[in-house]
Amino acid sequence: MYEVSSTDFLSEKPHFLMGLLKDLQMEISKHSLHSGGWPSGNGKTAAIETTCYALMALGGDQGLARQNAIDLLLRTQNSNGSWPAFEGDDPEGCWTTALGMIALRYAQSSPTPLDKALLWLLDNKGREGHWLWKWKFRTVDRAVLFDPDKYGWSWFPGTVSWVIPTAISLIALKQIARATARIELGTEMLLDRTCPQGGWNAGNGIVFGAPLTPHIDATAIALLAFPKAAEPAVMRGLSWLQQACNKCSSAYSLAWSVLAFSVHKDPTRDHCVEKLRSVLSSQTSISNIETLSLSAIAINAAEGNANPFQLVI
Amino acid sequence: MTLRFQQQKYSRDFRPKHSRVSILNAEHYSDKLDELVYQGLRLFKLEVRGKSVLLKPNIVEYIPGRPVNTDPQLIGAAAEAFLRLGAASVTVAEGPGHHRDTVLLVHETGLADQLQHRNISFVDLNRDELVKTKLQANYSGLGHLWLPRTVLASEFIVSMPKVKTHHWTGVTLSMKNMFGIVPGSRYGWPKNVLHWAGIHESILDICATVRPNFVIADGIIVMEGDGPLNGTAKHLHTILLSDDPVAADSTLARLLGSEPSDIKHIQEGGRFIGNHQGVVL
Repeated sequence: MYEVSSTDFLSEKPHFLMGLLKDLQMEISKHSLHSGGWPSGNGKTAAIETTCYALMALGGDQGLARQNAIDLLLRTQNSNGSWPAFEGDDPEGCWTTALGMIALRYAQSSPTPLDKALLWLLDNKGREGHWLWKWKFRTVDRAVLFDPDKYGWSWFPGTVSWVIPTAISLIALKQIARATARIELGTEMLLDRTCPQGGWNAGNGIVFGAPLTPHIDATAIALLAFPKAAEPAVMRGLSWLQQACNKCSSAYSLAWSVLAFSVHKDPTRDHCVEKLRSVLSSQTSISNIETLSLSAIAINAAEGNANPFQLVI
Repeated sequence: MTLRFQQQKYSRDFRPKHSRVSILNAEHYSDKLDELVYQGLRLFKLEVRGKSVLLKPNIVEYIPGRPVNTDPQLIGAAAEAFLRLGAASVTVAEGPGHHRDTVLLVHETGLADQLQHRNISFVDLNRDELVKTKLQANYSGLGHLWLPRTVLASEFIVSMPKVKTHHWTGVTLSMKNMFGIVPGSRYGWPKNVLHWAGIHESILDICATVRPNFVIADGIIVMEGDGPLNGTAKHLHTILLSDDPVAADSTLARLLGSEPSDIKHIQEGGRFIGNHQGVVL
């Protein structure tokens, strides 16, 4: 259905990473729910975000868990094409729709659910995309410094645009090379929301005149939405991320960083992979399936295999 | 007062006959807080023996040098004190508003060390099992919220705010701290659905539905000015304990130099969640 270009800039591929990858995949597979998918945290209900990451993380050996996850995603898609936050959630849909598109496409599922999801995604926009709220943010509500003409996607309908749902939606749209106008608008929104010191946080760089600090995961995910580091904001983001990863002790944030550095062919990736491996080895138990899955996806990408968040078709 | 507040929006009056407040003096964060908090709690003769206690601190963002979060030393001291009082279990639980990487935040703030040292469990409320819950007041118009099972299953909930001013709500104290039980996995990072439904209105609905049984407020070093992230530190040398979140927040607001009646959720909370005045122990 599509090809993902391999990252061939890693000269040496340490074999122990493959062993770690297999261990992670086994652990993820072990926690699969009988009804398909994976819960978040201590839950017993399949969460869509968790399931998408786990589906992307599994290899060919975990055929049953993979198929159950695909079935779960197909079963939980709302009639309007969106995905909920978890199985049994209210049916209005949310940001996981873009993630569902990326995961199902990566799993080479049938295109029909993706077409429905695309329509929902294009119909949704941050609330500042409406003229009334645009006017409000431009005139009377200037506490948060942003350009309301540049909007992306919200976490949930009826709210404003935020960095991570916008970046994930952009990746989903760019992978299928559709909706150029929305891609441009969303890209402009991300460029408008950078933090003064570089990188991104949840959504705004300046609030009440004060600069806010970037977050590692938001910066890495935003960087994934840009194909190359030509934009100064992207270069500043990469530069900030390189520094931030040095002090990072979280597998979740390191995994996203490895994925971003892989896409941007940034040599910091190798150091980041080593830190990720070290954190995974030193922590006695990481029960969080999101973190295990993202770590597996990152290690797989670092090994030169497919990166599900890569934009190249 | 907006029109939204002029009609009765609650069906149940949670106010106790008498509310109690205790203000403890603490010069700084140290191991001495263990005994201070324990002795402070004993004044209230709380019935926590055999109960599951949930401590809900305020963990937002790690900014070195800024008093943004409930101090981990105080959280550890509170956990220890409840165990000494006979609690069956103590869990620390939080769902940070902007940060998706809760593990990173818990490590950066030093809370992870306290939890490990004292063998206390932590639950990320942003990623817990959720239960659709009817709200016990109707200020926000949301009707129901999906709330974490860990919170709903707890028998004794302690709100542990960092005492701060807040650019949207005036102050962020024990009632506003309960925003953190609302899961990001269902309402986003930040929980923007609540902002659009009205922050004061959402606070009232949440506190009517999951009313904190007790408050331990970190007022040793507080934040003034452009809170909750960019204000300046002020040494108040105070830990406030109370069995009533409205009495706690009214007292804390006064300590910050604000009039409780100017803060909508505190003023309105006095109608049904708690009392504006408490007996000082």
